[in-house]
Amino acid sequence: MQNALQNLFLSLVNVAVVLAVAPFFEGIIRKLTAMVQSRQGPPVAQPYFDLLKLLGKEDIESGESPAMQRFSSYLSLATLLVVAAILPVGGRAVLGGSVDCILLIYLLTLSGIATLLAGLAAGSTYSLMGMSREMMCMMLLEPLFAVALLIGALHTGSLRLDAILNGSVYSSAGFPFSGYLMLGVMLFSLQAFVGRLPFDVTEAETEIMEGPLMEYSGPKLAMFKYARMAKLVIYCFLLVALFAPWGCGSGDYLMNWLLLLAKVAVVVVLVTVVAATHARYRIDQVIRYYGILLGISLLALGLAVFGY
Amino acid sequence: MPAWKILNRIKERFAAAVERTDVPANNRLFVHVRPGDLREVCRHVFRDMDARYVISIGWDDRPHSGGFVVSHHFSFDKAGVLCCVLVRLPGDHPKVDSVSEIIPGANWAEREFQDLLGICPEGHPWPKRLVLPDGWPEGVHPLRKDVAWNHVPEGYNHDAEHRFEDPPPGCVVVPFGPFHPTLDEPEHFRLYVEGEFVRGCEYRGFMVHRGIEKLGDSVLTYNDIPMAAERICGICGSVHNVAYAQAVEQAAALGVPLRAEYVRTIMLELERLHSHLLWVGLACHIVGFDTLFMQSFRIREPVMWMAEKISGNRKTYALCVIGGVRWEITHDLKDEMRAMLKTLEKEWLAVAGAVKGDRNLQKRTKGIGVTSKELVKEMGLVGPIARAAGVNIDCRRDLPYAAYDKVDFDVVVHEGGDVWSRVLVRVLEVFESIRIIRQCLDRMPDGPLQAKLNGELPVGRLGVSSVEAPRGESHHMVVTGENNRPRRWRVRAPTYQNLQGIPAMIKDQRLADMTISLGSIDPCFSCTDRVETLDIRTGGSQVYTQTELLQMTRQR
Amino acid sequence: MSLLSKIKETLICFKAGRVTLPYPRETRPVPPRFRGRPVFDAAKCVGCGGCASNCPAREILMVDLCQEVRVVKYIGRRCTYCGRCADVCPEKAITMSKEFETATNEIHDIQQELELFMGTCQRCGRCFTDAGPLDQLKMKGYRFDELDKDRWVYRSAGYLEKEAAVRDIEIEMD
Repeated sequence: MQNALQNLFLSLVNVAVVLAVAPFFEGIIRKLTAMVQSRQGPPVAQPYFDLLKLLGKEDIESGESPAMQRFSSYLSLATLLVVAAILPVGGRAVLGGSVDCILLIYLLTLSGIATLLAGLAAGSTYSLMGMSREMMCMMLLEPLFAVALLIGALHTGSLRLDAILNGSVYSSAGFPFSGYLMLGVMLFSLQAFVGRLPFDVTEAETEIMEGPLMEYSGPKLAMFKYARMAKLVIYCFLLVALFAPWGCGSGDYLMNWLLLLAKVAVVVVLVTVVAATHARYRIDQVIRYYGILLGISLLALGLAVFGY
Repeated sequence: MPAWKILNRIKERFAAAVERTDVPANNRLFVHVRPGDLREVCRHVFRDMDARYVISIGWDDRPHSGGFVVSHHFSFDKAGVLCCVLVRLPGDHPKVDSVSEIIPGANWAEREFQDLLGICPEGHPWPKRLVLPDGWPEGVHPLRKDVAWNHVPEGYNHDAEHRFEDPPPGCVVVPFGPFHPTLDEPEHFRLYVEGEFVRGCEYRGFMVHRGIEKLGDSVLTYNDIPMAAERICGICGSVHNVAYAQAVEQAAALGVPLRAEYVRTIMLELERLHSHLLWVGLACHIVGFDTLFMQSFRIREPVMWMAEKISGNRKTYALCVIGGVRWEITHDLKDEMRAMLKTLEKEWLAVAGAVKGDRNLQKRTKGIGVTSKELVKEMGLVGPIARAAGVNIDCRRDLPYAAYDKVDFDVVVHEGGDVWSRVLVRVLEVFESIRIIRQCLDRMPDGPLQAKLNGELPVGRLGVSSVEAPRGESHHMVVTGENNRPRRWRVRAPTYQNLQGIPAMIKDQRLADMTISLGSIDPCFSCTDRVETLDIRTGGSQVYTQTELLQMTRQR
Repeated sequence: MSLLSKIKETLICFKAGRVTLPYPRETRPVPPRFRGRPVFDAAKCVGCGGCASNCPAREILMVDLCQEVRVVKYIGRRCTYCGRCADVCPEKAITMSKEFETATNEIHDIQQELELFMGTCQRCGRCFTDAGPLDQLKMKGYRFDELDKDRWVYRSAGYLEKEAAVRDIEIEMD
């Protein structure tokens, strides 16, 4: 009983921390982007105010199927919060170790599906176009992450999330070629996972006007925005946990969190600088790029099968 | 080749057709021909003599000669001559042979005088309404002299919607504009999209008519118009200001003091500087590269401050009056300007060096929005679009005005024809502009700023003037008149021609490239829409009618 | 090559530092030639009407209440700050001020109305000639613009109307 309560408590802490720091990191991104652009930029707390403002606005129903639109907006945030709840911070097993990486892959895909639903439910030309782009990207992008998790699973021989999300990609029998290869692939596709330039084709403001989110405003938009911010933190977390788990294995729970957030911050800075210095690629170029990455990741998977 | 030689060559072929000729200067030629021979003369000039099509203009001359006049303007760039082929038409039911079949670029111009003056272009391939609002009743032509400038005809339906053509089979219609975040200007494209590919488009523009031309020939006076002309465009305002003043000066054969010529040159080049810097920023914004957008705006800001120091305003310089300029450039300002140009050059060199090797940018711009030399010729495309396609034209060199014949500069030409070539042309033109301003600062003589006028301007003279705006050639025509104001003043902004090349440029391209292709011509819809009587709107709103909206905005 | 240009771009960005101005809190000083809101000096004005006839936006109205009193009103709503009024004023009664933050809810903040006592010209009652023929006053005599409607009334001959010489064409620019 006590164990169950503790498990629940850890999950809730995860969710609370992700919800609390997600807008902060967004604020950092904006401030840093402004620095790169020689601007003053908004205060770091601005995303909190933005969310509050959006939540306080009138809930306009402007798409084709309002119920579905509301559902998709909640779904997008909810899935990510569930992902947050099962994250093993500092290698600690969550929910008694009953969580495996298959669930994680499903949940991450579901958050993409929420965006698809959003575009489909809104039903305008531009949102449908954004939706079709999102679908194309998802089909190539999600396997990348699945491959990274699978490599970890192959090396550790377990599907448990706490086992895999602990630098498992490097724990191969021989030299971890597959791990380093995957690290490269993930670094090159990180921008795409968090939906930032140069791969934000699905939302491309200057091409298809925010695509799937075009018809959304007020609280619903706040949900999507919050989900986007949470997505950034979660993907950075996953990347750090998979590829840079150093110093997280033992020690104080609080220290684990602080170290983790520091690492996430470093990744966020990287993401920002890359996003600020690149132009957006076109959808066909993006697809080709993902295709190449997918090929490399499959190569890594093959290496992993043979123990490298 | 001076103007009279060109005239002789036209006369060789069409001795009987030419009714009257006028060669006011070595670089201007006005040929009046018989209406029946107009098409053949235009074909000869455009095809055989390889002139560049500029614009067609109609005007109501009934108070003076009892009829209408239509004038086709051509430019012989190598010879440096502007040639106008004019025909006189009867006052009742005027008709003119359409030249759009021969010169595709004349399409809009002919539809425009059909709308505004009721001159019917016979044999026009697609005589659909272009300029007038869709609810405007037939038979009311606002630019005719018997229609008052503020006349709203009975039966004008504010809420009428535009009738678009049907899309080709298998295509989806994607509306583009007027509320699009990248090109937040009043234009509306209906793109016919198949998958991610654009198969064609229809354009509906002219939504922001402010009646400037009608005001110019019925309300404003000669010296009022430069200030109004400047407000045709937010970026190249001074170009219109100078072009108008030059057209009047040419019509009146009025000499401008040398110092004023230099001041005009400097201000025009300052304008080109800030316009090109703005465009590079905007193009980067369109492909999502906001950092370079911000940086080029940062580099641009000192140029604006310099303009503010000279003229008293960042953008609207209020520079010209007929016969001169209003602002002088003192020695202190010259020194400040030299310092500003030095930092600008340094910073822009760094940016140009970085941008040139940027594969990421090239991926989005190479092979996109390609224009061929043939398209440039057919549509009369101008400016960086033409120069990026390897067509070596530049009014500053070909039809020199102001002090451009007294300075050295190179015309930047590229062969690619795509968006990337346009980026390079504009990036490099910044350096040429800096070079021109430096020479002007060194060579500017002292002297008066404005010419002394003795007596009023002559009446009924025709003046044309071309000024190389940052986007291409801006062409103004003025017919001088009584009451201290012109009879007709016509503005052709560069975007007027360049926009007509867009359908060919975006055909069979990806939708994602549409914005950058359109952005690459640096479109200025306010320049294009400048004309005629009322502000109008198409595609009526559901919530408010236009009248209600107007009332709302007018409430104080 | 591409990476190099990216690094170059980043360097350009960071070298410039922050350039945002603290605008609403601190205004940048405007240059001496700045053209802000025109200010009319009633003490210098002789009521010639040059500014009213040369204003491209028709922002300056005049009414002769009687032989001795002329009212000059600057509406200021459409004013483009071109400075032509200051140019043509023979008495330099109009100056372009440094004021540029002219957005207001109360239109009277930027409007100005002068009441002038006039002498009589022997020839036309009111007249003024500028140096240049293009700037010369086309509207000699008495002026009856409608101040309450902010409307400029221009006596002119419109084409195709035989009785035009006596007909007024009213110009309402709003």
